[in-house]
Amino acid sequence: MNFIMSFIVAFSTWLKGTEMSRFVTHYAWVWPACETLHFIGLAMLVGVIGMLDLRMLGIAKGLPVAPVHKLVPWGVSGFVINVVTGSMFFAGDPFQYIHNYAFWLKMMFIAIAGLNMLAFYVTGVFRTAEALGPGEDAPMLAKVIAGSSLFLWVGVMYLGRMLPFLGNAF
Amino acid sequence: MDFLRWIEQSGFSTWVRESGSVWAYPTILFFHTLGLGFVAGTSMAVDLRLLGFAKRMPIAPLERVYPVMWFGFWVNAASGFILLAADATTKIISPIFYVKMSFITLAVVLLQLMRNGVFHNQSSVQTNLVSMKGKLMAAASLACWAGAITAGRLQAYLGPVSGAPGLTNHF
Repeated sequence: MNFIMSFIVAFSTWLKGTEMSRFVTHYAWVWPACETLHFIGLAMLVGVIGMLDLRMLGIAKGLPVAPVHKLVPWGVSGFVINVVTGSMFFAGDPFQYIHNYAFWLKMMFIAIAGLNMLAFYVTGVFRTAEALGPGEDAPMLAKVIAGSSLFLWVGVMYLGRMLPFLGNAF
Repeated sequence: MDFLRWIEQSGFSTWVRESGSVWAYPTILFFHTLGLGFVAGTSMAVDLRLLGFAKRMPIAPLERVYPVMWFGFWVNAASGFILLAADATTKIISPIFYVKMSFITLAVVLLQLMRNGVFHNQSSVQTNLVSMKGKLMAAASLACWAGAITAGRLQAYLGPVSGAPGLTNHF
């Protein structure tokens, strides 16, 4: 554990000296711009993936699943925007994150949400779900994955919002 | 202004702002983020469909997500009121706060207009095609939510400084 932490500290020290880190902290507009994009990205992600999850759980059952799934690239774009802006926050000052347990929990939740999404495709339940027409009930596995997805992304939002307040305050 | 000061200094507002409890300000902020994810996010998804993405999604059943959006909206109205109460005397003289409220008002009006103009429009419902007016409303809705989110975030950076009367942010 100490070995991992010393690696992380070494990496953070290197990162703090990069051009990207200087860019993020030097211009006053960068941080607020990144924060704004981070919220827009989260809205895209939660709105689209949330809609798919809610459909699996039976909300707006009149919708066939395949077209709702067609919107997923927009949700993924929201996620990508957040990875980019999130990386910029991290690069700006790694040390305000690496000692904060809320940050590591948030990363863990994101990783599990990713694995959860992978499970949707790898188990093949995606094929059954995609074929669902209006009014049709999703398989139990799809519902479990959808429910987990909602829980995990709400958790990510919670931990992200709590970063300044939990663990070591900034 | 005296009334706002009274609200701001009330027991509840003071608890939210100064108690240091994670259940106070941080939790109210979290609910505000949650609400925004659901109202703005779902609205963005609906707007994308109205603009012509995922064309095979039928229009009529999509109206069933309106309750999700209203849920998000009311969570944010409630948490927003509490956040406003905790900082009333500053927000009331902050231009960016009014910009945000304008965007939200417009976005909510658009949601209702889209409900009538698209989801209750027999032609749209039967053909699953959206009129130019519907598309314009969807585009405007996207812009309004993006504007509301931006204005909301910039509240911390522009205008009068919370808790420091007479002090203004300088960029």
